[in-house]
Amino acid sequence: MNGGSLLAQGLKYGLVALLDAVVVWAAMALLLRGDYLMVALLGVAALLLNFLVLSRRAYPLRFLLPGLVFLVAMVVYPIGYTISVSLTNLQTGNLLTKAQVIAQLEGRYYLPPAPETFTFWAFRNAQGDLRVILTARDGRTFISRGNELVPVDLSGPRYVRGAGGTVTGFDGYTRLTLPEIYQSLRALEGLDLVLGDEHVRLTSVREFGTYLRKYSYVPDQDAVVDLETNVTYYAREGSFTSPDGMRIEPGFQIYVGFRNYLDVLTHPGIRSDFARVFGWTVVWSFLTVFFSFWVGLGLAYLLNDPYVRGRFAYRSLLIVPYAMPAFISALVWAGLFNADLGVINRILGELFGTKVRWLQDPMWARAALIFINVWLTYPYMMIVSLGALQSVSREMYEAARVDGATGWQRFWTITMPLLWVSVAPLLIGSFAFTFNNFTIIWLVTAGRPAVLGAATPAGATDILISWTYRLAFEGDRGNQLGLASAVSILIFIIIAAISGVNFRFTRALEDVSRGV
Amino acid sequence: MRKLLWVAVAMVGLAAFAQAPKLVIWADDTRAPVLRDLAVTFKAQTGVAIEVMEIAFDQLRGQFITAAPTGQGPDILVGAHDWVGELAANGLLEPVNFGPKLAEFSAVAVQAFSYGGKNYGVPQGTENIAIIYNKKLVPQPPRTWDELLVLARQITDPTKPMYALVFQNGPDPYHWFPMLSACGGYVFGTNRDGSLNPCDVGLASAGAIHGAKLFADMIAEGLLPAGVGWDTMRALFFGGNAAMVISGPWLVADTKAAGIDYGIAPIPAITCPNGALGTPRPFIGVQGFMVNSFSKNKVLAFDFLLNYIATTDTMLALYNRNPRPPAHLPTFALVASDPDIAAFGTQGAFGIPMPNIPEMASVWGAWADAQSLIANGQATPEEALKEAVAKIKAALKCK
Repeated sequence: MNGGSLLAQGLKYGLVALLDAVVVWAAMALLLRGDYLMVALLGVAALLLNFLVLSRRAYPLRFLLPGLVFLVAMVVYPIGYTISVSLTNLQTGNLLTKAQVIAQLEGRYYLPPAPETFTFWAFRNAQGDLRVILTARDGRTFISRGNELVPVDLSGPRYVRGAGGTVTGFDGYTRLTLPEIYQSLRALEGLDLVLGDEHVRLTSVREFGTYLRKYSYVPDQDAVVDLETNVTYYAREGSFTSPDGMRIEPGFQIYVGFRNYLDVLTHPGIRSDFARVFGWTVVWSFLTVFFSFWVGLGLAYLLNDPYVRGRFAYRSLLIVPYAMPAFISALVWAGLFNADLGVINRILGELFGTKVRWLQDPMWARAALIFINVWLTYPYMMIVSLGALQSVSREMYEAARVDGATGWQRFWTITMPLLWVSVAPLLIGSFAFTFNNFTIIWLVTAGRPAVLGAATPAGATDILISWTYRLAFEGDRGNQLGLASAVSILIFIIIAAISGVNFRFTRALEDVSRGV
Repeated sequence: MRKLLWVAVAMVGLAAFAQAPKLVIWADDTRAPVLRDLAVTFKAQTGVAIEVMEIAFDQLRGQFITAAPTGQGPDILVGAHDWVGELAANGLLEPVNFGPKLAEFSAVAVQAFSYGGKNYGVPQGTENIAIIYNKKLVPQPPRTWDELLVLARQITDPTKPMYALVFQNGPDPYHWFPMLSACGGYVFGTNRDGSLNPCDVGLASAGAIHGAKLFADMIAEGLLPAGVGWDTMRALFFGGNAAMVISGPWLVADTKAAGIDYGIAPIPAITCPNGALGTPRPFIGVQGFMVNSFSKNKVLAFDFLLNYIATTDTMLALYNRNPRPPAHLPTFALVASDPDIAAFGTQGAFGIPMPNIPEMASVWGAWADAQSLIANGQATPEEALKEAVAKIKAALKCK
């Protein structure tokens, strides 16, 4: 262990030191922004990293940690985040936090009955303080003093006049040129001046104008008062709502507990469509995996036979569907299956004088989808099976042949049990993936053809995940992310249960093979 | 060590509090180059830098919704008017005060960007669909739907294939709407104050059903191919297999490139149940500039929009990159002689701004389902549209 050269040691500590320096710098930047949570996370991460590198006891962890980090970042965190969103009302109109909404409402203004506008000169002194002189339409002039606007007589000797007779400075303040005004717009925009009971704000690069504040937040009532109409809006279910039900937009995010889950489980339409969609989802996943596995295995078996000529060329050609981006293949197939113009129907028409209403008839649309997905997945199964087949030792086959086993017997009693052990977990993975294969469904049929009389937008080829999408993003006012997250969690539970059962099943298989 | 720490704090502090304003604009590839050129002028005149970020058009809205509340969004977003409802309902947009500049903009375009009685965008270009026809196949496009049917019966031949009319319908309510609106179909009714009433859905009104029947009959008779998407429509039109398509200005550049001798004409008028001719009314889409409510440079942003964007120079440059009828009237006057712009404008004069209220999200799916049920002959137009309206109202919790 201590055989490491001086150079390696130096490099190691140098890198750690550099990293720590960056962390300190980043932490200070975050502190200034008031992002304390990130500072804490960063601190913990940095300490952990130092411990890993500097402590001998932590040596094995160095190799495990990257994997753990990715596990947390890619799996644990998204699941946690989805769960937390599923407990909120996050949706169109309820995106911002309550504090953001209050800040926005308190920044809203309305025009007084007799609004006034002012042209202005802005001035700055050596300390960088900004002051403005405003001129009303009728010639009255005001100067800012702190937050207040006070009438001012500009004829006094304090006010230095430049060419054209305009005021160019006073008391150490000098007037800003137009580019300087542009440079100072943020500060000017931040000015909230008071003139009597009205507010005066910058309204454009050349003007100030009078305004009245529209809303005021009353913390002890948890309500917003509309100062124009004197109506009080109380915080109710994620928006400020008046006693007669008027809501102020935007609303804000709140935790709603398990309401999204209850909405899903008690929605009358969802309950009636669920069984049909779930049934098709299982059929779709099962048939896709079933057919693609047997097609893939069959081809692999053929290509594994040393007597087949040109195996390399066949293998390369058969992998083509896998090499093409799936979404392009899906769109191409959707075009080929077009009932009026697609090539498939034209061939059928030439040969049999008939047309199949692919993608329009529920059964044919399902058949077409499974066909397309088998086309897209069999190369994967073929590659996996090829690998597995090549790991089966030749001696077993020779021994079987000596014992007089037929080819059929050799396949079922030697190849399959040995293949099954390594391929079965992949089939489960493939099943779970197909279960949630939104892309293919969406690109080929988008869940259609529609089902007449369905209570929710659930088409004949919608699988759970595409149905979820339509429920969450084609309902109400668009993005119902809280609801969508709740359904995702429910689907996650369903898949976890199915996978759990499947893994049980394969563990039993493994035991069998160990016995063999 | 302590000294070093202070130096570091001071440096970070300086970076954080440096207040030189900078405008950040998110725009797609058709507008970003023009804005970058304009940024040079703006910097020279005001000393303020503009950073233009080019983002794909269909990514803009989603990324804006994610970024804006965290303060990472742009000051100005260039997008479509039908985003306004969702963005404004989420509290992400700042209302525009046009001042005297208002008179320079098409009233319909300004209205398209308004939500809840406030204007949320400076409109730039408008777009709507019309008939684009192949002059070789149909020298004089039909003016009424009855004439169209006569033509279709003459030249339709599915074996070649050859069709008189093709449009995206697989399903695609946007391109279907002119047929439904000709005799009075509509999506949302209007309240007395001009705002849209999401509980008044007019997709199963008598006029809409009349248009849908026409659609169903044409498919049943084999005169209109069903299940057509964007690629199929293009392939048929560019291959000379379709005499006419219903599409928008976005098809024109490729039509020229495909060497088609094309013309643009209004969508044929439909004879309504009462015997009158109804003009199809397509949706109008408007694109324009919106200001982020979380921007710290709002005055600057509006100054830029009203004094630098809303000029004939800029509007003309934007038009030249992507020819759509400009919403800025002085610029429109300059390009109105272009025959394509004039022809799309003739149709657009009857257009209806696509509803921008977020409730529209509930409409598209159910409406498209109805169209596919009708096209497949699984339901009569009346059944399908009535069910769609019931679904939309249920999704919107209307009584």
